This record gives sequence, structure tokens and C-alpha cells, in this order.
Amino acid sequence: MSKAMLIDTTRCTACRGCQVACKQWNDLPAEKTRNLGSYQNPYRLSAYTWTIVQMREVEYEGRLFWSFLKRQCMHCLHPACVSACPVGAMHKLPDGPVLYNDARCIGCRYCMTACPFRIPRFEWDKPVGYIRKCHFCFDRLAEGLMPACVKTCPAGALQFGEREEMIALAEQRLKAQPERYIQHVYGKEEGGGTSVLILSAVPFAYLGLPTLADHPVPSEQELAMPFEYLGVPSLGREPVAKLNDDLARYGTPGIAIGVAAILAGLQWYSKRRGTGQHTGDAAPAAKESGS
Amino acid sequence: MTTRRAQWARSLPVSWTEVVVYLLLLALAALGLGVAIVRFMRGLGATTNLSNAYPWGIWITFDVFIVPFSAGAFTLAAVVYILNDERYHVLVPPVVLAGLLGYIMVCAVLLADLGLPHRFYNIIAFLNPESFMFEISWCVMLYTVVLVLEFSPVVLESLGWEGPHRLVRSFTVVFVSAGIILSSLHQSSLGSMWLLLQDKLHALWWTPLLPLLFLLTAIAGGLCMAILVSMLLPRAFGRPVRTHLLANLGRAVAGFLAVYGVLKLLDLLIAGELGLLFTGSTLSFLFWAELLIGVAGPVAILSQSRLRETNRGLLAGASLATLGLALNRANISMFAIWRPRGTVYIPHWMEVAILVGAVAAAVLVLALAARLLPTMLGPTEEEAA
Repeated sequence: MSKAMLIDTTRCTACRGCQVACKQWNDLPAEKTRNLGSYQNPYRLSAYTWTIVQMREVEYEGRLFWSFLKRQCMHCLHPACVSACPVGAMHKLPDGPVLYNDARCIGCRYCMTACPFRIPRFEWDKPVGYIRKCHFCFDRLAEGLMPACVKTCPAGALQFGEREEMIALAEQRLKAQPERYIQHVYGKEEGGGTSVLILSAVPFAYLGLPTLADHPVPSEQELAMPFEYLGVPSLGREPVAKLNDDLARYGTPGIAIGVAAILAGLQWYSKRRGTGQHTGDAAPAAKESGS
Repeated sequence: MTTRRAQWARSLPVSWTEVVVYLLLLALAALGLGVAIVRFMRGLGATTNLSNAYPWGIWITFDVFIVPFSAGAFTLAAVVYILNDERYHVLVPPVVLAGLLGYIMVCAVLLADLGLPHRFYNIIAFLNPESFMFEISWCVMLYTVVLVLEFSPVVLESLGWEGPHRLVRSFTVVFVSAGIILSSLHQSSLGSMWLLLQDKLHALWWTPLLPLLFLLTAIAGGLCMAILVSMLLPRAFGRPVRTHLLANLGRAVAGFLAVYGVLKLLDLLIAGELGLLFTGSTLSFLFWAELLIGVAGPVAILSQSRLRETNRGLLAGASLATLGLALNRANISMFAIWRPRGTVYIPHWMEVAILVGAVAAAVLVLALAARLLPTMLGPTEEEAA
């Protein structure tokens, strides 16, 4: 059964216990950071920081929100990184986690380029670096435990369970307090669905998340924000990874067979026409003189 | 044997300028090799300005430009061995060698780009057929072997090894065909590779047509490489340039680029994204530059026989198209991808040094081959007469 995590950003107090729990469970070192005018610290994800609480001051419908969003791997149901990886180092477990296999990786970093959520990180500081990212505490899940971050969350902002149950819980909250939330469960359909679901009081684009193509993107506000990406891209309901996989599966043999057929046809045609007998030699046909 | 001696003798007296150029290229290549050793010892973080915001940098841009530029080898081989047009046979050796050197450069730079270069063989051991990166790496490896075979007759003939020479020649059509299939696959896959970036690549560039557009620009760009090599290499060694043949290639470039330009604009029209052309953003400017330099300019020049029948017109058309191809690949692999605000990437000097070294080595090998291998540039005018 597929597990999922529900992040209710309206309940988060930004205590960052999840960041600490993640580092403790996974034996991740501390990082030297700089004060960049925000409590958000470390400022970005890295190979040694797999989750952060992103903090943003957002003005929405005339009110100021201080929004806290736990950023981490979204554990997509149809992950782009899994489709991208040439050696199958990225793979998805049936119960949710998207994992990375150290032993297979060649370090091409296509997963980093392909991920719509910009999650995988590389160990730039090492002579031989690996990719690192949240692995959904797959080791804890195997023992029937919940992820370390969920376990530690004191505010009830993080919930963990079956994906269906988490969606039901999220929708129940949207119904119980409609004025509290944007009426949308992020991750239910985005990019074909993710194993991390998010509830928010402000539009998801304000949080820097790629929105569904049919959800409006508040661009002018977006660009005015201090920690923003250059814009907010949008995901579809169908994962683009599916297009990729179909094209690879059927397009590749299709092109190979099609081109081979064209070549055979051209050969046959030019033979029948009896045009120039080639010498089958990359050297010029004209024989060198001077011998 | 006497032929080879005669060729050697002819290739000798070498001018001092030429020697200086060779030494300069050798020095740049040696520097690149030295920097590459530092990169392998110290890792990517210490020797490049790549980061989590820019996991791919100038090396990948170089690769996705050099591969279609090297497509001259497969397009010219198709003309000679599949369409059986003997007239172009004389152009084949230098263009195939240039293509081969292009692919070797790409393989070398890719190796430097890998985070775990000592594990490169995993690409053979573990397969993910849904990954276009997998398809590209396999095709590039196999096609490099094909190019070695395609070029080998020139070397075998110069060495006087008759047996292997005959053997390779008897299979020419087989591996030329394999080369065309492999090229169609990986040139298009180089475009498919960006499909996963639907949410990150700017809408002016992201389209499901990417594989087709990449194949078309590779054919046009490859023919430009064939034109440039066939013009600049003989000229450097005081041999005649076959302007008339190259003009025909130029006309084909104009045709393929025109089809590409129409497809590209139709695609934007159908997607309802033509408005993006007029937003006045840096990216829309880059798109215009790419379209004007890489498509409109070359098509305007190369579609007129008056202009393409001259060396100058051909050179201008092919150079513009090549520049446009480079800009297109740079836009897609670097500029048009969303990045976290406030992050910048300026290549480290070591990244640049490795690229410069690779190009210098390739140019040096090409020049030495033209100097030393008797059949590289075809018969001189007196010989042909």
C-alpha cells in the first residue's frame, strides 16, 4: 500500500524539530550557514540537509501571512528522476519512497535537472560525490514506524498514513474550516500525484511550488518576493514522465525501424536506377596519381 | 611504398608559422589534460562553479552543441553511400574525421562531467530503457565505433594494409547504415532529454516536438560542419575548395532550416504561445537572436544561388547557422531553465580550460591528418587533371 505524508502549513509553528529529527536519524552533519535576513536556516536544501522549513512573508487578500512550508522530496507517484536516471539508480518503492542506489550512480546529475521540485542535491564538496535527498525514512517504514520528521512534529502539522487516508483527512479539514485553507490538496494530482500532500492558507504558487497548469499563477506578486524562483512553472495532471517513458519505449524502436526501412528503400531505389557504383570506401574515389 | 614516400616528401617543407600553430595547439591541449587531472583528483566542487542550482553547466552545453555539429559525418555518409552520389565522395574523409574527433571530445568531456567517472561502465552494466540519457550514451558510444570504422580506410590505405582495408570496405554500407540509424536516434533523443523539464524549461523552447526539432537542426548544423571543414581545411593547406559541391550542401542547409523555422513558429502558434515572442524579456530577446542568426540569416543567404556559389557567401551562411545552433543549444541547456532567484553561474576557468584543451587537440589531430594522410584532401588539381 502506498503511504503518504500530509503537511498542513497552517498548523506549522516553524519550530524546525523536523529538520533536527531528520539530521539525527540520518546522521547528517551540521552546516555552516549565514544570516540572510530570515529565520529560514539552512537557507536551502543540500546534500546534508534533506528538509527545511521554508519561511515566507506573503500578502494575500489584504492580509499578511507568515507561511511555513516544509520542503523535502515529494516522492512523486511517477517520478521524473526515476525516468531520467540512465542506470536505474533512482527507483520508487511500492509503499511510497523514491530511493537512490549509491552503487549504481555514475553522477550524471540528470535527476537534478529533471526534478520539477528541484530536490536532488549533489555532494559538491567531495572528490567523488553522490546524490543525496530525503528517502522518506524507508528504513523506519520497513519496521512499521513513521518518518522521523512526522514522529517529532509537536504541532500536528505533519501526518503520516495510507495515501487515501491522508487525502480524506485533508479534504475533511478543507470542509471543516473552509475559511482557513485554499480549497485544494496540493499533490493529489500535481505531476500525476505525489506522496507528500500539502494544505495552505495562501495560493501554492506563493510558496514557490509549481502549480497545476489550470490554476492561476499570480506572477506579479511572485516576482516581488525575496526568495523567489524566476517564476512559477506549472505541472500537469498527467506526469510528464509518462510522456517521456512512452516516447522512450515506443519512439526509440519506432525511429530505428523507420530509418532502417527508409535506408533500405533508398538503397533499392538507387540500385534500380543504376546511379553511380560507389566504391565502398571512405577515401576519395579518384585514385592518387604519382605512383 | 613509393607513393607513400612521395606523399611524405610532398607534405614536408612545413612553414615556421605552421609549426608555431601546432606547438600552440599542443600547449593548449596539454594544459587541458593537466587541468583534467586536477579535476579528477579534487572533484567537481573544487574545480567547477557548478552548484545545486546549476547541476549542469558549460560542459553539457558544449556536448549538446558538438554532437549535432558533428552530424556532418552521418549526413554526408548518407549522401554518398545511401543516395549513391559519388561526386561528394571526395569530401568524406576530413568530414568523417572531424565528426569522429567531435564525438571523442564529447566522450572525454562527459567523463570529466560525471560525478563518479570511475564508474562510467555502469552505463553498460545497468540499463534503464526509459531514460533518454541511457539511449544517448549507448548511441554515442556505438556511433563513435562506427566513425572509427568509417574513417579507418584512409589510415589503412596510407599504411598499405591491404587485407584489413578490403575487409572494412566490403562492410561500408552496413556500418554507414548503422551510423545513420544511431545518429537519428541520439540526435533526436538529445531533444527528448529536455521533455522531462516541462515545468522548468521556458515555453518558448519546451514542446513535445523537441526530438524532431533537434534532429532537423542536427542535419542542418552537421551539413554546416561539412561545409566549414571542406572549406577551411583545404584552404589552410593550399588545396582547392570544391565550392560547387559545397553550394549544393548549402542549399540543403537552407531547406532544412526553413522547415525547422516554419515548424517552430507553427508549434508556438498552435500552443497559443506566440505572445511570448513580444514580452521584451531577456529570454524573448535570446529567442529572437537564435531565430534571426540561426534560421532567417542563413536561409536568406543560402537560398540564393548567387550568394551560395561563392566561398564568402557559403562561409557566412554556414557560420551564422552554426552560431545559431550553438545559441539554440545554449538557450535550452542553460539560459531558459528556471533557477532559484539570486543564483548565478559563471564557468570556472578550469571548466573552460578543459574545453579549450579538447578543441585544440581535435584541431591539431585534424590538421596533422590532413598533412600526413595522403588521401585526406583528395587529389590536387594537377593530379586530378
